[in-house]
Amino acid sequence: MDLSLETRHEDGHTIIEVGGEIDVYTAPKLRDKITELVGNGDYHLVIDMEKVDFLDSTGLGVLVGGLKKVRAHDGSMRLICNQERLLKIFRITGLAKVFAIHGSQADALAER
Amino acid sequence: MLSGPARTTTAVTVSIARDPALVRTVRLVAAAVARRTTGDEDFVEEIRLAVGEACALLVGPDGDRGASTGPVLVNMRIEDRLRVAVRAAGSVAGQDPPSSDIDGVEPWALLRGLIDDFGIVTDADGTTLSMSWPLR
Repeated sequence: MDLSLETRHEDGHTIIEVGGEIDVYTAPKLRDKITELVGNGDYHLVIDMEKVDFLDSTGLGVLVGGLKKVRAHDGSMRLICNQERLLKIFRITGLAKVFAIHGSQADALAER
Repeated sequence: MLSGPARTTTAVTVSIARDPALVRTVRLVAAAVARRTTGDEDFVEEIRLAVGEACALLVGPDGDRGASTGPVLVNMRIEDRLRVAVRAAGSVAGQDPPSSDIDGVEPWALLRGLIDDFGIVTDADGTTLSMSWPLR
């Protein structure tokens, strides 16, 4: 499965709903989308990973790169993920402590 | 799926060009080989992730392959353990200085965290990532 990216704006945040596999082949598409949004002045991003089937370290790197981009503009990046197999990857790499990871869009948007 | 321990050695070797688009194919093969040993889908997922990760590190991101050429070879064997070796000639992306995209993510951290038995051997001919898991 390829990568799908759907973007919408809600409550002052830009939500990117990601579907499919984020790997060495598809991660550049996510990187380009984040770069495009930040370039447009969207500094508060919510990455919804509920429909992500696969994530490797290339994908993690793109997320870290995105976090740095928004923080450079005093922005934020929140992740939505409650799949254990993906959460395990964040824990193993120590990134569970770096990202704000929420269980739902409602939770992610509720945090102030 | 085999019932109980593997009764014969199963060996599968896949050779791919250093094209990131092909790493997914290797993951699919790795999952199929893992399913020959167990019905535990968590285990299958672990193998799929680890083999895909190792392969991705040796393939490198698109346009960042430097002087590295030649295929990436993935050998999977069901013996006393499930053993996987991923080999490529030349330098590998994972040993290059971190680009902005992977800054903050140590390239080997995921593999080292996932696998108890994981090794990297670099010689004049290239780099081999070796990993193994007990059969379930």
